[in-house]
Amino acid sequence: MAKSISLIRKMAGGGATAASALLCVMFVIYALHEPSALSLFGIGNVLNNTVVLALAAMGLTLVVLCGELDLSGPGVIAIANVVVATTSTGTLGTGGSLAAVLAIGAAVGCVNGFLVAYLKLQSLAVSLGTLIACQGIALLVLPAPGGEVSDAIVNTLSGDFFGIPAPAIVLALVGGLWLLLKHSRMGIWLYAVGTDEQASRLSGVNVRATKLFAFVVSGMCYAMAGYVYCAEIGSGDPRISDSFLLFMYAAVAIGGTSLNGGRGGVIGTLAGAGILTILQKMLFALGVADFYTNIFNGIIMILAIFFGQLSALLAGAQRLRKA
Amino acid sequence: MKDRRQPVLDFNSVSKRYGATVALDDVSFELHAGEVCGCLGENGAGKSTLVKILSGIVVPDAGEIHIAGQPFRPRGIVDARAHGVSTAFQELSLVPTLSVAANMFLPRPKLNRLGLVPRRQIEQEAEQILQAHDVTDISPAALVEDLPLGMRQRIEIVRALWRRPAVLLLDEATAALSDREWLFGLVDRMLQANTSILYISHKLDEIRRLCRRCVILRNGRKVLEDEVAEMSDEAIFSSMAGRSMVETSTRQSSSARPGATPVLEASHLKGPGIEDIGFSLAPGEILGVAGLEGHGQSRLFKALVGLSPLEQGTIAIEGVPTMIRSPRHARRLGLVLVPEERKSEGLFNDLSTQANISLPVINEASPLHFLNWAAERRLVEKVTPTVNLAERYLPLSISALSGGNQQKAILARALLAEPRCLFLFDPTRGVDVGAKQNIYAMMRGFVREGGAILFYSTELDELVHLCDRCLVLYRNTIAGELGPEGLSQDRILALASGYAGGARAIASSGGA
Repeated sequence: MAKSISLIRKMAGGGATAASALLCVMFVIYALHEPSALSLFGIGNVLNNTVVLALAAMGLTLVVLCGELDLSGPGVIAIANVVVATTSTGTLGTGGSLAAVLAIGAAVGCVNGFLVAYLKLQSLAVSLGTLIACQGIALLVLPAPGGEVSDAIVNTLSGDFFGIPAPAIVLALVGGLWLLLKHSRMGIWLYAVGTDEQASRLSGVNVRATKLFAFVVSGMCYAMAGYVYCAEIGSGDPRISDSFLLFMYAAVAIGGTSLNGGRGGVIGTLAGAGILTILQKMLFALGVADFYTNIFNGIIMILAIFFGQLSALLAGAQRLRKA
Repeated sequence: MKDRRQPVLDFNSVSKRYGATVALDDVSFELHAGEVCGCLGENGAGKSTLVKILSGIVVPDAGEIHIAGQPFRPRGIVDARAHGVSTAFQELSLVPTLSVAANMFLPRPKLNRLGLVPRRQIEQEAEQILQAHDVTDISPAALVEDLPLGMRQRIEIVRALWRRPAVLLLDEATAALSDREWLFGLVDRMLQANTSILYISHKLDEIRRLCRRCVILRNGRKVLEDEVAEMSDEAIFSSMAGRSMVETSTRQSSSARPGATPVLEASHLKGPGIEDIGFSLAPGEILGVAGLEGHGQSRLFKALVGLSPLEQGTIAIEGVPTMIRSPRHARRLGLVLVPEERKSEGLFNDLSTQANISLPVINEASPLHFLNWAAERRLVEKVTPTVNLAERYLPLSISALSGGNQQKAILARALLAEPRCLFLFDPTRGVDVGAKQNIYAMMRGFVREGGAILFYSTELDELVHLCDRCLVLYRNTIAGELGPEGLSQDRILALASGYAGGARAIASSGGA
């Protein structure tokens, strides 16, 4: 009995499988309409447009997995963007500015994590606070759009290595890191804490340290997203990430990660980010007016979540029949 | 005779209070190598607190604990385990979305050379561990959430056992087990390996089977510690139940009308957590329900108002068979539940007391959809005297009221629906003595008017003094029914522990 449920679940897959399938279908439709999409340039272009959202949503996935919510992402991205735009050609240089934004991301994650895990404040409220504060800091660093991103960053991150687009390498790298994390102790703890905090505590899991870890690593992911974003736009703009937040959550949800925590993963989120990007391109290629895009975004999100839940629904129905 | 050897566990006058509630009061006992000591007590006697203290989850306010002569002050569950104390928790501490193997080795599964957790390898090891404990029907790769409760309980037990602790705590370890002999066999093996076991239970037959010595807790105090063989069942039950002063010692004459059509007749109810329960409730009758925690009473009450699904069985109201779909539907049929968790299931904390009471019938006080405060007040004042809720509380926020007054408000709300049948689930829990008297008076008044009450209480003296009859639940079914002549706390407790006449219940409770 238990075995058959597990089997159904494996066959229908979780949300990640549904999202990946949807991504493939959409890419095929897009490629049929826009054959250039299959060229190296076309693929590189899609990846370029995906990588920032993918990195940011990946960070968010870690926090969501351990059962908390985080709004601070766009704030960290904004700070990272303006810091790179003001320092990468001067004082800090390419490498220095990367180190600086990662440190900033980790610091913001630390503040979030400490307040949530150790002082037991609500993560939604805490990270709303850090979001607003970070956006304020970004305006302080660079009050108006401007600044300059060093050529080294732009060329490296928008170029390719031996024919492989740089964003593909970045995504493969973070995907690989995620797989390592997933199979480490910390990965198991993340899922455990997100599923049932009380049971995790009774099983000896350090709940607070796990949550702190999730917030810190997610902060660094946002920072990395901001850094890569600089390469794309080539300058600084403190308000550039204001519209990111909902898309980050959409990517996480489409990718099959439960917003209640404990279920899902980064691979699904990467697919979710890909779906959102391709959808924009597809609608653009089909000549759909800009203001319709969000309607489709919303419909796609609900569809993805529906298919992602299908296997769980099936398993649930079967269990109910048995009970 | 006292054992002269140094005890493995020395629990020395430990106390713990939560706010005004004393959970554990100056409790001492010892545990020696290779012995099982039973720990008996009713719900809320302090057993869980004791387990939590020993597991390192709760820090005691006073007292000392020594393990093998060394002071034992665990900072957490991992620390307690490092000192050789391992626990199988009553509420089960498994993580549903992880595999059996991952759960088995939490929090620190072994790592391979890459610093990763080798899934295959830990599954193999988990399989070996399970087999070594005579568990062969659980796949270590299965997710815990896909397994039935009985299997989960066995995993929880094996997880506590396999590390070979010096002190093992088993907290109600047989609650979901279909095969208790499996556990008894393991316990015997552990004893030969010189492990000390604290066996927490409220089932006397298990204590008699396993333990030589036993400690009885009541209201956070140790009331008895003796050799099990030297204690009669009566002595054990009476020290578990105590002889608390029942202020209403005068039993009032019953207002039940047994000949009339039953207000509610339930037969062969079956669903998750309830097995073949049937009863009939005559007008004017207070029918008691007794049972130790987790024996189906909560599910039964929920099923009666459509909150928990029923798979089989019929419910007839005044002789008319009815399907109850939801609490709202039940309310229209005249059945009202006063739920268990006052705080989370019954109250709207930010609203005034008056609004809390009038909520279900607010339409009657709002002609043209605008709330008429005076009309609402008139509605509410029809019922507040019945529960003796003072008028000055009505405008206050309900969260500012004492537990007793909150409960009165909830009962007032139930009465506003003009029900013919009330389901009261432990209505006097956490309620002061005065309010209890008011609640008793309200109940008696309600049945005198021809209403019927199904009344669950954790306080047995209430059941004995208020009820016309009492059903005793054990393992999700009715273990026995006590009429007015046989109704006593000892009898209730014996039936609820699956002891006297409990054989039927054990025989009929099937799979895990």
